[in-house]
Amino acid sequence: MMVRRTQSSGLARRSAASHLAALLAIARKEWIIFRRYPSWVMAFVIWPLLYPVGYIFSARALGGPHGSGLTVFNRLTGTSDYLSYIVVGSTMYMWLNFTLWDVGLHLRNEQMRGTLESNWLCPVWRISIMLGSSITKMLIGLFVLAVTFVEFRLVFGVSVVRGNPGLIALILLLVSASIYGIGLAFGSLVLRFQEANALVFLVRGLFMGFCGITYPLQILPSWMQGVAAVLPLTYAIHSIRAVTLSGASLAQIAPDLQWLAGFALVLPMLGYLAFAATERRARRTGSLGHY
Amino acid sequence: MEPLIQGTAIAPAERRMIAPAGAGNGLQAGEARAIVEVRDLRKIFRRKKPAADSSGWWHRLPITRRVSEEFVAVDTVSFDIHEGEIFGLLGPNGAGKTTTIRMLCTLLEPTSGTARINGYDVVKQSDAVRQNLGAVLTGERSIYWKLTGRENLSYFAALYHLPPDVAKRRVRELLERLELATRADEYVERYSSGMKQRIAIAKALLANPPVLLLDEPTIGLDPQSARTLRALISEIKDEGRTILLTTHYMEEADQLCDRIGIVDAGRIIALDTPANLKRSITQLDIVQLDVEGFDPALMGALQGLPTVQHALARYDEDGGAWSVTLQTTDSRAVLPAVIERVGRSATIRNVNIAQPTLEDVFISLTGKGLRD
Repeated sequence: MMVRRTQSSGLARRSAASHLAALLAIARKEWIIFRRYPSWVMAFVIWPLLYPVGYIFSARALGGPHGSGLTVFNRLTGTSDYLSYIVVGSTMYMWLNFTLWDVGLHLRNEQMRGTLESNWLCPVWRISIMLGSSITKMLIGLFVLAVTFVEFRLVFGVSVVRGNPGLIALILLLVSASIYGIGLAFGSLVLRFQEANALVFLVRGLFMGFCGITYPLQILPSWMQGVAAVLPLTYAIHSIRAVTLSGASLAQIAPDLQWLAGFALVLPMLGYLAFAATERRARRTGSLGHY
Repeated sequence: MEPLIQGTAIAPAERRMIAPAGAGNGLQAGEARAIVEVRDLRKIFRRKKPAADSSGWWHRLPITRRVSEEFVAVDTVSFDIHEGEIFGLLGPNGAGKTTTIRMLCTLLEPTSGTARINGYDVVKQSDAVRQNLGAVLTGERSIYWKLTGRENLSYFAALYHLPPDVAKRRVRELLERLELATRADEYVERYSSGMKQRIAIAKALLANPPVLLLDEPTIGLDPQSARTLRALISEIKDEGRTILLTTHYMEEADQLCDRIGIVDAGRIIALDTPANLKRSITQLDIVQLDVEGFDPALMGALQGLPTVQHALARYDEDGGAWSVTLQTTDSRAVLPAVIERVGRSATIRNVNIAQPTLEDVFISLTGKGLRD
């Protein structure tokens, strides 16, 4: 039977501004919780420095005394500054790694915490719950990037903040959209299968082995180069290296930017579709509350 | 009674008659309109089970070892909840109460049937439904333990689209009224279970919704906290809000609810006021025995005694004895035989002819207890 509505929630004032306020409240909540685990803050300061150390010393050992063995490396990459080369690649990879863990596991963490349904009960856009958290993760990611560059400047005397900063910002912006799209899809899959580790290892391994984090792609077998060609991180690492290490111009990295723009368009859409499908399935099966 | 939150009590709504007098569900002529309407609501889950023939090694493979089967969690349930009443769904665990409440609060999509909250369809207008109800689901982890009580409420106020000045005032009012103000700036992880539940209720009340859904609100609470929470629920009702409460505690349902739907195996098997439900079995005498060393194998014999309609035995761990309940049409006639049979192998501590409770209603309808 249809009844006439006589009451509504008198205190709420829904508008585009209130949705934005909700998004920022989610971001702020994530930031407060992040700060309340000091060990995370410590890890984000220490890990960027520790992570590439293994690669750097391997390269130093392989390069021989005074870099005498770096001729081939120089010929393939156009630089003998292998330290900067490794730092750029490993920092980009580390950033992707943080994003996959943080954005991808956000919904699952909420689910395990028991608060996911509580958020879902609110009249807020579902995607805001994911995006609000992403804002905080992005800021934390930028903080980690800054820490990394400062630490490498101080410890190894390496400066990767060179070349055209506008181009670097553009590359980071485009690759961010791709990475957050992957994170969204990844988060949806984790929520669907309620198991994160296997997926994390798979995706992480794919990027680690194929994107040329510490080596030029030319040394990979051709089939691996084919896989690398469809991964956004490959183009991000390649173009950032070109800008920072060789001072490349916009025209020189245009092919990379075209690929990155394509990924930035497609991957967030795929991520959203995966998220929407997971949300629909959760409503059908009631799986949001499952542990 | 003083309204729960100053200035936010629900104003008297336009009333209209929705059912004729004596419609058989406890509703009288002139009563309030239905603010929650549930019609033929049904939820079927698909679940995996091991294949019947699983002797071969190939049945251990992930893709072959299980088959899918349907499980009807809620089976064509219909009811109305009228503005300003507390409506209870009473039934044992697994009866379908929580599934029903999850469909009403839009977390779960019905397989078929419809439900409307304040006129909004739970499937087609889910955002408007969420705006019109506050829900407290089972468990105390629905709020952030690493945030303070005030931070939790401020956060959810933003998600309910409260303007900042309104949110600030509302959070302060709720913290004060729910006696959480002095500890509002402590992490929730330091709160007692009762305090966590009160914060969860405060969260549900943030947007001043006309309808509140409470899923087993006192489960896991100590008796004092449960009493406090029941008093709070009564106060919320006195503000003019409508409350749907699920519980498997018959005393709670009896004390709080204006009307009760008794649920078993996904169906509402009786729906009326607590008094009417109990009156429906007044032709039965309820005989209760406290027995030490009772042999449950005797239940068959007791059940077979003339005039005994239902018999139920439950071990009370606190008291260290069995509580045996018999529903009979003539307690005087049957009592000597009961005492003789039970007393042969056990010690009867106490015999009592009791007033019927809601659990007796449930036993008379299903032949089993609420906590079975």
